[in-house]
Amino acid sequence: MAYDPRRPNSGTSTPQPTPPPPPPPPAPAAAETTEMATALEEAKPADEAGTTDSYKLKFCTVCASNNNRSMEAHLQLSGAPTAYPVISFGTGSLVRLPGPSITQPNVYSFNTTSYNQMYEELNSKDERLYRGNGILNMLDRNRHLKWGPERFQDWVPGMPRVDHLSKGDKGAIGTEGGVVDVIITCEERCWDAVVDDLMNKGSALNHPVHVFNVDIKDNHEEALTGGKAILDLANRLNEAAVAEHRVHGSAGWENGTGPARQSFDEKVPEILADWQEKYPHLPALWTLAWL
Amino acid sequence: MAQPADTDQITQLNAARNLVLSDAAFYPQIVNGILPIVGANTRLELRRWGADFLAETFASPVLAVAQKEQLAPNVLQTIRDILELPEKDTAVLQSLVQTSASLYPLVFRHIVNHPDDSKTWETMNAIKQVIFRQMDSFPCPVRICCAKFLQRVVQVQTPGLISDPRRPEQNETSLAVVPRSHALLSIPNLEAESSGLLDRLLGVFQEEISDALLVNATLNCLAPLIRTRQSIANKIVNAVLEFYPSKHVRPPFTPTVRVSVKSMERTARALLINILKRNPNHPMSGKMQMYIERLMQSRLEAPDDASRKRGLPNEPTDGLDNAKRARLNALTPPMLKIPPMAPGPASFDKLFTITEDIGLSSFDVKQLPFDLVLKIVVPLLTQVHDSTLTQATEAIRTRLQTITKEQNMQRQHQQQAAAAADDDDDYEPEYQPMDAASTISEEASAVAAEVADLQPDLVSLGPFVLPQPPPLTEEEAAEIGRAAVARVFGMLNAAESDPPPAKNQQKLGFARLAGSTFDRDAWTVLLARLATRAPAGLEDDNASKTDSAGRRQSTIAESIRETLYRYILEDFRGRLNIAIIWLNEEWYNDRIKMRSAANQRAGSEEETQPTVSLHYDTWVIRLLDGFLAYLDSRDIKVLVRFLSEVPEITIPITQRVASLAKDPERVNLCVQALMYLVMFRIPAREMCLNTIEDVYKTYEESQPAARKVLMKWRPDSAVLATANGEESSVAPSQPDTLPTSAAE
Repeated sequence: MAYDPRRPNSGTSTPQPTPPPPPPPPAPAAAETTEMATALEEAKPADEAGTTDSYKLKFCTVCASNNNRSMEAHLQLSGAPTAYPVISFGTGSLVRLPGPSITQPNVYSFNTTSYNQMYEELNSKDERLYRGNGILNMLDRNRHLKWGPERFQDWVPGMPRVDHLSKGDKGAIGTEGGVVDVIITCEERCWDAVVDDLMNKGSALNHPVHVFNVDIKDNHEEALTGGKAILDLANRLNEAAVAEHRVHGSAGWENGTGPARQSFDEKVPEILADWQEKYPHLPALWTLAWL
Repeated sequence: MAQPADTDQITQLNAARNLVLSDAAFYPQIVNGILPIVGANTRLELRRWGADFLAETFASPVLAVAQKEQLAPNVLQTIRDILELPEKDTAVLQSLVQTSASLYPLVFRHIVNHPDDSKTWETMNAIKQVIFRQMDSFPCPVRICCAKFLQRVVQVQTPGLISDPRRPEQNETSLAVVPRSHALLSIPNLEAESSGLLDRLLGVFQEEISDALLVNATLNCLAPLIRTRQSIANKIVNAVLEFYPSKHVRPPFTPTVRVSVKSMERTARALLINILKRNPNHPMSGKMQMYIERLMQSRLEAPDDASRKRGLPNEPTDGLDNAKRARLNALTPPMLKIPPMAPGPASFDKLFTITEDIGLSSFDVKQLPFDLVLKIVVPLLTQVHDSTLTQATEAIRTRLQTITKEQNMQRQHQQQAAAAADDDDDYEPEYQPMDAASTISEEASAVAAEVADLQPDLVSLGPFVLPQPPPLTEEEAAEIGRAAVARVFGMLNAAESDPPPAKNQQKLGFARLAGSTFDRDAWTVLLARLATRAPAGLEDDNASKTDSAGRRQSTIAESIRETLYRYILEDFRGRLNIAIIWLNEEWYNDRIKMRSAANQRAGSEEETQPTVSLHYDTWVIRLLDGFLAYLDSRDIKVLVRFLSEVPEITIPITQRVASLAKDPERVNLCVQALMYLVMFRIPAREMCLNTIEDVYKTYEESQPAARKVLMKWRPDSAVLATANGEESSVAPSQPDTLPTSAAE
């Protein structure tokens, strides 16, 4: 009885704007998600089988336009062997993509334009140019990750995102509740915008969220190395969180000693400091905010 | 629902959650359904799931407030049961505290509307008490959520804004919506409680060692309080402004500490910027800006020094790095252990003994034959380490110095005592003819005896009176006077560079007190009075008596005047204000002196006529001469202001102004200034009209302008009559542009 409501739902919304999946370049995880929609039933119980072991932090990646850096990180996080729950946003007022010259960017609005639309439009405008500067490749990658760019300031934390699951967005499993544990921005400006916006939202959920910044230059190469570094950070954070879950879970709180008793939250500054030593060229920042 | 196997149960629960996520209408049914399954005394997995689900439910923006309010009482009871178990699991506690934070405003509102539901309120209070009581002993993640709970309670129990009194259901939940005569909620009690809780919340900024997590969590939840709760906003902002993260960490600046400090600084900054963005005219915006700047600076200095290019090499402090240590050891000479001098009266042998071995120190060297000593000492000296010898000699030297100091002091005391007690009658010089052959031991014993005599005095030191400094010479006094004046001028400059005070601040005019505000004007008044009134009366007497003394007296006053004069001329347009303040003071001072001189004259008829040296005339002319040359034709406002605000217009002044007409470019300036005086400075009118006549006669270029003035104010002037004939066809020139006011 319990699965019934979700099924018709997924049935109705899948035909909608799901991008046609022509060449699937980021192959490893793509197969998993396409299969996911159909195999939801099996996926769920399997996921819950070892409750404590499969505990995962929920992530959110943020950059200016929700196209390059946050999407690369989105890909890395959702495609990792652990397949983290992840959503992504942009903090700019509009989606800006490079155009024929620096004064003529291609501008789209958030939330209402799909990556597929952008792809088709730029492809028809000047395929050579946009193929050459990598924009088409990027959009192609993006349209296989999720439907379209979303604006952070328009996000209502706690608003269920069940429809994203049915749309086949990668990383949607686990973020149905519209709540995340960790936000990672890719630029200091975005970190400022995110922290500021969370203050404005009034923290109605009373849910703590760690907000990190990993400073990444806005180009494809840096986005790739940055994305991998973010994945590394995510792995370290998740490891600590899982450890905490276990200590307090089966083993029990009293059994741990010393640092093992330290909670995930307490370890965060330490984890970031360690991580920063490995990636000194990606200056990082952190705070604990509220959703 | 049935009770299937454990994992199945969780699976079922997850299915239920997915159901409500896609349709919020099922919430009431599901919540009530799961409560018995996940309540107290169930398995940990179930409790965790339940707590998470409840937190999510009451935070959900899709579930209507009314429905949440309806669900609240049942849920409250479950939460209370679990909390009072007591619960040990961090995750469950965390979620339950979150749920409570979401529930508190709902329950509060419910109670406001249902004063009879005391049971629900009692349960809520019980939960609140459990959380507050255990807050400090909870594990860190739970404590963070407790801080958030605190913030929620404070927000609810502080009066907020009533946006529309006619539609109470639209108002935000706060103390302001509680009716005065509520059966359960007593406004003063709630307010007092919330004030205490706010202190507790802000207490995190006063911890000696800050916990970055808690500080950040607190900073990040303060914004809504500051925004919506006027009555406590300033208190909160002040608490934040007094918090400097870099001062709240312990020295070993590990990377972790650095991450923490930086995060606290950035979060504090983000909070203040958020406030400033909302309200750029915030009364404390200046302070906040300064705080932000100071944060940026301290960030450059404090624990960030690792980012500099070449920090100190990281040396192990535990001595593990032996290779390095060994070499350092070889370089440092062995430290000589020098015991403090043996107690008791000082003697030479004690002075020179630096060994603690009793056998050695009591050994009498004189028993050895001289050449044997020589044989031992010379090779020994070559072997002694340089630095050891220096250390030893240094030690002896300091010992000797302390002894001599003590002895000198004792001698002084003795002399003072002797001088006070006795005359010179039985004075016997303590002269002991020095025996050339006297042995060391003899002298030593003599010293010892002396010290023994004086010992008691040493204990009671008398009060020490600083001797009177020698009187200053005239030059020195003048020099110091000038230095003082220079410092006041320094204040003038400093006050000038300050940003101008708020424009809306009312000018006090006549009601002001000189020097009540410490701005530039106040310092100017102070200086002017220092120059005029302070030496008033002194210089005249002295001038009449001795020439030199008179000159000296005047030098201080004169030098102030001279400096003021130069100071004003450096930028006479900007500092005209100062000139006017000063000249008014001079003029007033002159008047006062003249009056007192007149009184004296009336009292004593035949004696020396007291003369009064007047300063106003001299200085007004000097100033005018000083800047007249630099006035250009557009400076009418400057000139008119000066002429209208100086206390007295004299003929020399009008003559100076008239001389402007020499320059064809400044003819109009001259005539307009004079015309202004004619119109608005009645006492000086005749004087000025005369001057205009002169100008008219002397300078041809002035005639068109001057003629109009004369026609209006002195139509019967003789100069006009003579000129009328020739000047018939003069163009009416430009319309009279009257300098309207002495503008700022």
